[in-house]
Amino acid sequence: MPILHLSPQEEKLIQSGGGIAFSSKSHSRLQKIYDSFKDSKPAVDVQRAIYFTESFKTTHGQPLILRWAKALYRIAESIDVFIDEHQLLVGRAGCQGKYGLIYPELDGCFLESFAKQAQTRLESPFYISNESAEALIEEIAPYWRGKTFYEGLVASLPEDVLKITFDPADVFTSRYIVNETASMRSALQWVHDYKKGIERGFEAIKQDALEELRELDEFDPKDALEKAPFLEAVALLSDAIILWADRHSKLAYEKSEAESDPSRRAELRKIGEICARVPRYPARSFHEALQSQWFMQMFSRLEQKTGATISNGRMDQYLYPYFKSDLETGAIDAEGAKELLQCMWLGMAQYIDLYVSPAGVRFNEGYAHWEAVTIGGVDREGNDAVNELTYLFLEDKREFPLNYPDLAARIHSRSPERYLYEVAETIREGSGFPKLINDEEVVPILLSKGASFPDAYDYAVSGCTEVRMPNRDTYTSPCPYINMGAAVELALNNGRMKKYGDELISLETGEAESFKSWDEFFAAFAAQEKYLLRQAFRQQYAVHQLREKYFASPLGSALHELCIRSHKDLHSAHIADGIDIGYFDLIGFGSAADSLAAIKKNVFERGIVSMGELKEALSNDFRGYEALRQRLISSPSYGNNDPYADSIAKEIDFIAASYASKYAKSLGFDMDLRYVPVTSHIPLGKVVGALPNGRKSGVFLSDGASASHGADANGPTSILLSNSRTKNTAYKNRASRLLNIKLNPSSVKGYDGLRKLVSFIKSWRDLKLWHLQFNIINQETLEKARKDPESYRGLLVRVAGYSAYFVDLTPDLQADIIMRTQHQM
Amino acid sequence: MIFSIQRYCLHDGPGIRTTVFLKGCPLRCAWCSNPESQNFWPELAWSEAGCIKCGACLRELPGVSALGERGIQIIRETPADPDAVREACPSGALHFFGERKTVQEILDAAEADSIFYGSDGGLTLSGGEPFAQPEFALALLREAKARRIHTAAETCGFVSWDALYEAGRLLDFLIYDIKSLNEALLKSQTGGLLEVSLENFKRFKKAFKPLPVLVRTPVIPGFNDSLLEIEKIVEFLAPFEGVSYELLKYHRFAGAKYKALGRPVPYPENFDEEAYGYRFDRLEDFVKKAAPL
Repeated sequence: MPILHLSPQEEKLIQSGGGIAFSSKSHSRLQKIYDSFKDSKPAVDVQRAIYFTESFKTTHGQPLILRWAKALYRIAESIDVFIDEHQLLVGRAGCQGKYGLIYPELDGCFLESFAKQAQTRLESPFYISNESAEALIEEIAPYWRGKTFYEGLVASLPEDVLKITFDPADVFTSRYIVNETASMRSALQWVHDYKKGIERGFEAIKQDALEELRELDEFDPKDALEKAPFLEAVALLSDAIILWADRHSKLAYEKSEAESDPSRRAELRKIGEICARVPRYPARSFHEALQSQWFMQMFSRLEQKTGATISNGRMDQYLYPYFKSDLETGAIDAEGAKELLQCMWLGMAQYIDLYVSPAGVRFNEGYAHWEAVTIGGVDREGNDAVNELTYLFLEDKREFPLNYPDLAARIHSRSPERYLYEVAETIREGSGFPKLINDEEVVPILLSKGASFPDAYDYAVSGCTEVRMPNRDTYTSPCPYINMGAAVELALNNGRMKKYGDELISLETGEAESFKSWDEFFAAFAAQEKYLLRQAFRQQYAVHQLREKYFASPLGSALHELCIRSHKDLHSAHIADGIDIGYFDLIGFGSAADSLAAIKKNVFERGIVSMGELKEALSNDFRGYEALRQRLISSPSYGNNDPYADSIAKEIDFIAASYASKYAKSLGFDMDLRYVPVTSHIPLGKVVGALPNGRKSGVFLSDGASASHGADANGPTSILLSNSRTKNTAYKNRASRLLNIKLNPSSVKGYDGLRKLVSFIKSWRDLKLWHLQFNIINQETLEKARKDPESYRGLLVRVAGYSAYFVDLTPDLQADIIMRTQHQM
Repeated sequence: MIFSIQRYCLHDGPGIRTTVFLKGCPLRCAWCSNPESQNFWPELAWSEAGCIKCGACLRELPGVSALGERGIQIIRETPADPDAVREACPSGALHFFGERKTVQEILDAAEADSIFYGSDGGLTLSGGEPFAQPEFALALLREAKARRIHTAAETCGFVSWDALYEAGRLLDFLIYDIKSLNEALLKSQTGGLLEVSLENFKRFKKAFKPLPVLVRTPVIPGFNDSLLEIEKIVEFLAPFEGVSYELLKYHRFAGAKYKALGRPVPYPENFDEEAYGYRFDRLEDFVKKAAPL
């Protein structure tokens, strides 16, 4: 399972809306809100795209950030606003029900085909009305032709990079070898400094900008050409978001007049008051603070596509003062605070991340979006930051049945026991939330990048496993995925891949049959890995140069101290004092390590198969070679704390980490090694032929830093140890490794089970691994294991005093255990 | 001689543990869920589910012959060479239960996981019956202590007092099986003598008062799944201090292992799971109320 941690069951429940019941005290309101959208199909909303395009048509030749601010103003004054029935928070970026937005500036060149296929495509289909489809095809797509980032990227890539990125015959088709993701979203995951918006308000932000504008020296060209447009844009953006909130205020008052139910009438009046107040002025209550944040978050969605992840930052920190003072005055109680938070989660559940391009949608299957909320960790002084609101978030997660938000708990060596236990209890009772991020690994890495202690301590989880330091981080370009399965195939076939026939894809490293030793073969592999890295870094260099010509973020910039100070848009290639951390992903780490181990063992050491015969078997996708395949599968594999395979995996990691470290300087930003596939290991696997670890052609690659499917026979402790062992910790160019651990529900049962889960989490923390999330194995997993035993060889069924591999059991007993497990859940 | 080392064990003593299963047991419980643990020697097994029917074993191994559609037949009396079997069978469907490992190898495996042990996790010896190989078991415990690893063992109690006494000096935790206090039934269903088990238990508790002991009873339908049986055990345990008590639920997962070993599967055809589950829950409720700790 990728990132999201959607257990199949949850995913089904959410998409079908089947049988979700709210159990908290305010359940009737929440249930009604949920029922209002649960059956709606995600719909394409084109209003944002229409007004954005209309505005852009009239602003040619102006500075980009100003054009963007004008477009946002146009959107703020024109799009439909809604007050949803029963809701306490308002502000949506699109139509009622579940909706996705179009960002034509990004990949508008795909819009025509998207409009035709949106409803029928296999992955994440969307409903689109005839009028909307027509608007996309007739109005929007034609304007953007030749102006999109995607087309700009294609035009700017050197030929050899282009060739490995896109199909040269059809540049709209991805090759899935060194895959760019920069054209799928305008920015990497991002987290705003919501605290600033909540505490100061946009009126103050605007006044600051206007004041500075008045003081500019009109004779200074920099003041005139760089600072002035920036400041004007910040002021205009502030007006835009204030206007948008104000339209909600007016509508709420209007609705309150017509409302017959007195309690709802009072609620609507209160909404009217709050929307007139925030985000224009500083928030004074928990409710106002949340509404202010929600307006910023939703306006950010209208501004640009920040992937699936506009993160919420450290909510238990910046909301705490409001929560505390409201509790003291009796303005709110814990249940009331939870109800407001849950109103926000329900709003989140309705925004669906819409990918237009075929590659984008394949990388992010299942309507994935994850708005991280960070809790715990340390404060800017380095002291533990857990407070009463932290515990409220955990309690809320245990009660709230949808998988929004994506709760992320920071863990450090002085995290209080109560916190660790409540985190463990939440993991156990929910389906694995929260995910865990380790301060003991993250903080030192941030320090190594030049962050101050307070900034490093104050990081927020952003995106699936990444972290951000608000007001310090400045890197926004989405980064490439590198296909490590392809690297193995290229090394075996002298730079060629089965899927692409005789075409030379990378470079010729020699016919594999001619290699006399493992060292020779590994040298060929290393050359292939390095070649893919080379192309990835070139690609990213181009993206980095390009992005400021295509994107601007007045809202993101207004909420970033460094942008304000330097009068530069957040997308600028360089911002003074900013810390630029990008990353690249190795996809199929386990698949590659196991394949290399299988070659080393069986071809060069045991000699049970010649390189020629192995290649023949791979070329036939193992048809007629099942016995060989079985031997390959049983070779040493990554994830079992086995030094044989792990030392090879560490070499793969070393090539990438040392490469990144060497060339970061000339890039001008850090490119860190990461292992986070989202769902890209599936499409990247589709282009890779059979591999020497026994994986058949087209099958997905291994996921993140996890073992290959079914290869982890030694249980969760070994997976953690293998991860620890294969990191090159002497290099600072490393980032997260996505780590999914499956646990049997019975292993976390009772107080004893909880204690053991806490103990496991502490060991993970002490091993200084970046990320961890748990899957409590559910019925569906066992069902799948029954149908596809090969991928689940490592699945142990554990009962006291007895254990067996699930796949070894008879069908009847498997059915038996599936039933039992269901009872245990 | 062991048959398995398992990491991340959560049910074999306190904390997160590594359990090493020693092969060989003095008892022959009719319901045994680890049939591969009973004999003291390596045993060849064939798992039908894992077999790819490539025929390599028929060609390369003596004592293996084809049985048509039904798979293969193993002449178990023919001594097979483990290395030859590993060479011959690509999928591992034909494999050995049981291998010789040194004390060093086993403790190295345990120590690799030591970061997970925390303050109370560690190494557990299980089986079979670990103290049926007393020298080996004691050497393992001694080495674990030398490496500062928390120790636990799981015993059926049908072992020599000397071994148990020596173990007591090296153990931090003991799991002790008491299956029934019905002498005749115990003899007929497990082959064990009640007196040996109870005497060992009493002596152990006397010699090692502060050492925590977890007593476990597998609740077997038609054998001891009655309130009367469990009550007797709870009563017997009442005077002892530092003893906790737990019931284990009966299951029939081991059918595949019996088949792999070429033995008849001992489970009754008509097993009313629902009725048993209900009975078990009742017994567990009783134990929770009545038992120490």
